[in-house]
Amino acid sequence: MLPLGIRLRILLRLPLLQASWNYERMQSLGVLYILYPALRFIYRDGDLVLACQRHLQYFNTHPFMAGPILGTTLALEEERSLHTEGTLDVDEFKAMIMAPFAAMGDAFFWGGLRPLSAALALLVAAAGCWWAPLAFLLFFNLPHGWALIAGLCGGYRHGSGMIARVQRYRLPDLAVRCKEVTALLLGALSAVLVADALRAAEAAPAWGPCALLLVPLLGGLARLGVSNLILILLMAATLLVFLG
Amino acid sequence: MVWSLDYLYAGLVSLLVGLDRTAVLQLLISRPIVAAPLTGWVLGDFYLGLQAGTLLELLWLGRLPVGAAIPPDDTQIAVGGTALALAMGAGAEAEADGLPMLLLCLLVALPLGKCGQIFDRLARQGNGRLLIRAEQELARRRPAAATRWHLLGLGFFALASLGTYLGIILPGSLLLPWLAPYLLAKVGDAAPWLALAFPLVGTAVFLGALRNRRILVLYLLAFLVVYFLREGL
Amino acid sequence: MSIVLARIDNRLIHGQVLESWVPYVHADCILVANDAVAGNPLRKILMTAAVPKGLGVFVETLADAAKLLAGGLLIDRKVLLLLATSDDALTLYRLGVLFGKLNLGNLHGGENRRRVSCTIAFAPEDLANLGQLEAAGVRVVAQCIPADRERDWKKLSPPPER
Repeated sequence: MLPLGIRLRILLRLPLLQASWNYERMQSLGVLYILYPALRFIYRDGDLVLACQRHLQYFNTHPFMAGPILGTTLALEEERSLHTEGTLDVDEFKAMIMAPFAAMGDAFFWGGLRPLSAALALLVAAAGCWWAPLAFLLFFNLPHGWALIAGLCGGYRHGSGMIARVQRYRLPDLAVRCKEVTALLLGALSAVLVADALRAAEAAPAWGPCALLLVPLLGGLARLGVSNLILILLMAATLLVFLG
Repeated sequence: MVWSLDYLYAGLVSLLVGLDRTAVLQLLISRPIVAAPLTGWVLGDFYLGLQAGTLLELLWLGRLPVGAAIPPDDTQIAVGGTALALAMGAGAEAEADGLPMLLLCLLVALPLGKCGQIFDRLARQGNGRLLIRAEQELARRRPAAATRWHLLGLGFFALASLGTYLGIILPGSLLLPWLAPYLLAKVGDAAPWLALAFPLVGTAVFLGALRNRRILVLYLLAFLVVYFLREGL
Repeated sequence: MSIVLARIDNRLIHGQVLESWVPYVHADCILVANDAVAGNPLRKILMTAAVPKGLGVFVETLADAAKLLAGGLLIDRKVLLLLATSDDALTLYRLGVLFGKLNLGNLHGGENRRRVSCTIAFAPEDLANLGQLEAAGVRVVAQCIPADRERDWKKLSPPPER
């Protein structure tokens, strides 16, 4: 069992995973940096250098899913040093788990939770509340902190049993639900903003639903490869020419 | 060129939130909805920053920082745009001219922010050298020294953030005093519509990228229900 | 069968594919053709666990993938085909899976690979394989995510030497 101090140091190093992200091997140096306190405890001299070289192999996953992955890595690394190695090799484990977990993390944290938090915060801001940014941070970072802390501890405690535990959360399906709620919130937000703008311009409220035509039109243009930057500048130029 | 010490303070914010983008923690203080009000708060006008943040937040929400793909640097656009707007006098004392000036500053900051992807790529290429150095240390059997190279990557990412910030601030503060007299009145007339265009373009691109009929239907339904609840039938 | 995207990506199923490409090409089914993954039950389970309900996913060996695509099972599905290497792409093409266009996503660095773009590093055999595919009429383009520009694979320029 690793001493508590070392486990804490690893937890504190975990958020620095991507500090040296590079195109050659992505997060590999970050993994070595995070695991180093434990490796130094487990191995000595030549074995330590060999272990370090093993963990400098190509590695890339979602930064929050590194919690459970590296937790399990620690458990497997300990088994290996005690020669009670089970069926799973550490390096093999890391190589095969990084991409699927990256996909889950990308889908849930970037594709689901981030837009959901943003839509929620924007609605709060539209209601005139100053604490919208704080709501955004809190809503996003509770699951984020959970993934890092509980992930690292759980991975270390359960070893490869962690995989089944993470799968039980069904993150890809959860991401789909998040997107649906985001769409609802964005619909409400658009309605509020359009209604306010029409009222400010003293235009008839019947124009409101016409703004809806704009959304598929702009979305279609974006899909044809027109970048967001060009779209917003085009919109601005059009508005300036006709209204300015 | 409008110059003020505030650019320095905003530069410190740009460094802090820039590191959050990739290198450290990713608490998402790098999102415009947090970065812009933070800049505004440091420079003395939280609400202008909040307004900038809400305008920018949706624009690139759908671009995920997945793998080696680098999304546009909306973080520095938020910090730089807010700092420029405050330096140009868009704060609370500007009253009716505040929003038009903010919009003008954001429209100038948006294209300038393109340089962010270049700086970000340079930082990641610089990090490649750190990996080589770490391997050399390991070959010399000095593992502790190898791990220390990792932290130098923070320096490269910080430089990239500052570079992008300056890439927005320097041309921006030169251009704006020259553009404002011509464009401010024009922007003023279109301001409420422009302020609506930002979130609508963002929403459209976000939903468009999902390409999912069910999602689009949910969006339309929510829009109509909320709209008619507010306006009455 | 209809293959809406054939892609070489050494990470196979991951965020770029699920979050960007699947909605972009309207795929309703992912086919991973890879001998190593198909032969390893744990890797197979992991790979399919990353995919949400409603999106079909098959992990097959190259030979089985070719059979699956030739059979009637996927006849009205929109298939996103994932391959790990240029070798696999050529093999599958020779097994009769005639995709018209091949997308190069991620081919990350390794021994004697030369990096030609941020996400692509070619080994000598990659150049030979892709050359053969192109000679057979396949358009080979590099494009990491839909928002990137599509570039001809021969026009990829190596980054500055260090």
